[in-house]
Amino acid sequence: MSTAPVTIEAPVSETATDLDTPWLVIVWNDPVNLMSYVVMVFQKVFGYSREKATKLMLEVHHDGKSVVAHGTREKAEGDVSRLHANGLWATMERDRA
Amino acid sequence: MTKFSRDGNFVVVRLEAGEVNALTDLAGQLSAVLTGGVPDHGDDPIRDRLFPRAYLDPTEDRAESDFQSVVHDDLVRAKADAVAAFLADLGAKTDARGRMKVRLDAAGVEQWVAALNDVRLALGVALGVTEDDDPDLGDPEDPRATGLALYHWLTWLQGTLIEVLLDALPEE
Repeated sequence: MSTAPVTIEAPVSETATDLDTPWLVIVWNDPVNLMSYVVMVFQKVFGYSREKATKLMLEVHHDGKSVVAHGTREKAEGDVSRLHANGLWATMERDRA
Repeated sequence: MTKFSRDGNFVVVRLEAGEVNALTDLAGQLSAVLTGGVPDHGDDPIRDRLFPRAYLDPTEDRAESDFQSVVHDDLVRAKADAVAAFLADLGAKTDARGRMKVRLDAAGVEQWVAALNDVRLALGVALGVTEDDDPDLGDPEDPRATGLALYHWLTWLQGTLIEVLLDALPEE
């Protein structure tokens, strides 16, 4: 493994936290969306299996919310916008755990 | 009685005249909401529900407005396009008795799924629907009774479409 010094340039607009901390994509329960519809959206948007999509949908239904995906800020924003396009109530927040 | 059935890669929709009229009316109202200008969060519950914030954290207001500036117009346009396609299908494919039969390709199905869901979301928000609004326990004295009957019919209609579509998605 090379020990040569490497200069890493940090993007000006991003803080260290932005680079280090993953973001969580959260879907919130709402009284309107059908359970079957939510399962279908999770399968379509994320490519999840029926089993995983159903498990996440049930978490949303019973716990009021569920973390359905995670990743960089950019990825999370993409996921949230696709969930909004499908009518789900989705938000994102830093993973503080 | 089957409203949606699969035919290869297509989904065939069959609706009665009254159903076409009800959906046309609701989709027209949604279309008006979607083309009503830039949303002002906090004073329009339907727009707030259709276009939620991405960031709940108020310290991310800057990121929120950046996010909205990138995605909001496209999101409005996608929803408006879906409703327009839905309305066009409802209007164009009726027989002399007002019954409709349309054969939707994959893109058409997507438009119907999106429009039906948004129509139902908007009606649900307008009625203040909760999970306690059981379709079997309707109170005829409730001023929302007519709206709720419509809402529960939409629930059933959308449910039958989703069932057909889920059958085509992988189980694993």
